[in-house]
Amino acid sequence: MDITKQNINDVLLITIEDKDANLSKSEHFKEQVLNEITLGARKLIVSFERVEYIDSSFLGAMVAILKNLLPQDGKLVLIELNSDINNLFELTRLDKIFDLKDSLETALKEF
Amino acid sequence: MNRTILLVDDDIIQLRLFEKLLTSNGYSCRIALSVDEAELILKEETPDLIISDYEMPVRNGFEFRRHLLTEETYKNIPFLFLTSVNDHDFVQQGLDLKAIDYITKNTPPTHVLSKIDNLLQAVREHYERSLGEIKGIAEKLNLRNIPKKAPVLKNFSISYFNQSFQNQPGGDFIDFIKVNDRYTFIVLGDVMGKKWGAWFFSFSFLSYIRSAIRLCVFDENYSLSQIMNKLNRVIYADELLGEIFSTLSIVLVDDELGTIKYAGAGDLPLLKFEKDSEGLKPFKSDGILLGFAEHGNYNEIDIAMGEEEEIYLISDGMIDFEVDGKKRSDLKLFEEKLFNLKKNKVTADEIKNNLFNKHVSQVDDCSIIILKKI
Repeated sequence: MDITKQNINDVLLITIEDKDANLSKSEHFKEQVLNEITLGARKLIVSFERVEYIDSSFLGAMVAILKNLLPQDGKLVLIELNSDINNLFELTRLDKIFDLKDSLETALKEF
Repeated sequence: MNRTILLVDDDIIQLRLFEKLLTSNGYSCRIALSVDEAELILKEETPDLIISDYEMPVRNGFEFRRHLLTEETYKNIPFLFLTSVNDHDFVQQGLDLKAIDYITKNTPPTHVLSKIDNLLQAVREHYERSLGEIKGIAEKLNLRNIPKKAPVLKNFSISYFNQSFQNQPGGDFIDFIKVNDRYTFIVLGDVMGKKWGAWFFSFSFLSYIRSAIRLCVFDENYSLSQIMNKLNRVIYADELLGEIFSTLSIVLVDDELGTIKYAGAGDLPLLKFEKDSEGLKPFKSDGILLGFAEHGNYNEIDIAMGEEEEIYLISDGMIDFEVDGKKRSDLKLFEEKLFNLKKNKVTADEIKNNLFNKHVSQVDDCSIIILKKI
């Protein structure tokens, strides 16, 4: 999976570059982010700006990342989800466990 | 379904000739003028076959092939070399890189087509044989995440449908647990993921669900909230399921009183059809995905059922659609389709035929359970 990484102070911004976040990419994405956590990242923002569709495999990978991060006092904020993806998070109560924000600016205030 | 071939050649005329030959014979083609372009296309989609020229500037076909072999996602895509070089050493070098065969550029079009047809046919037969063997073993071991039939009740009828994705088992699972003449549990879950990985773990979840229900029922405990909380705690504690999550909808049918209760974990809303209503009524559960947190806050909801009223439990595959090449999840669209069918008083079978319409591209396995008060 194509991602770009940017450090903003001590926050790591990960932007998903694929428009289709699905099974074939979920495992690789999870590995990439878990690797960053192993290397010490604790404040993460994942941008869905370019993502049009997300499947349950990718949702599962996101949940696994969060479950890994929380016991290590980490924080993960997801930004710029399109309305379909945002609805999916709300419908399945994932909005209760993830911190969803509209923009990078608002997300950065969370840290 | 059209099979897709990725053609890689720096010679645009050669590419167009091949593309024309293949598309006029039922294949879809993606074309790339360089290895870099080909790799960009591969990030977007996985073709059924790659045909690549050997001689290209910057990176040649062998380098391309070597790179593909290092990537788990690409290494098993059938690969043919296309070349004007008919030298024995080149042929051997390509075959050493696990290329299935060579096509020389002066091969007559009919031979090229036969070669590709035969190759893809052989790949498909091999795949179907392997799939058949695994399905046969699962059948013998009685590994089934979708039951053969639903129990017969006095005051309710149960219909259910499941359609696998690309003919492979998936993470959706259904179960009916008829405890006695009065109580029946209806279970629909969806392990996050697709195909074999999700299918494998669905049995772990099913076992836990059956155990949790049975153990609570032994103690005369029919509280869905308590069953869900216990179930969640045991799944949370299971290290093997540490990174695997599942949604769950459970309905408890009291066939004596004609009532139902519902609880859910990260599932889509239960939908209800009521007579004289303007749309389907959603019931949203509070619980989060099984296994994410030790305490998941699972509440149960009483749902009154009048005669001829129906409830629907659905997995997320039911609301995923692909329109004009774009995938999206749209519960509203699904609700409207289902409600229009009900307004026209169609049967459960007709609902199935309509909702599992082949014209709507399916992108995941789909399940629906329909419970009707009679």
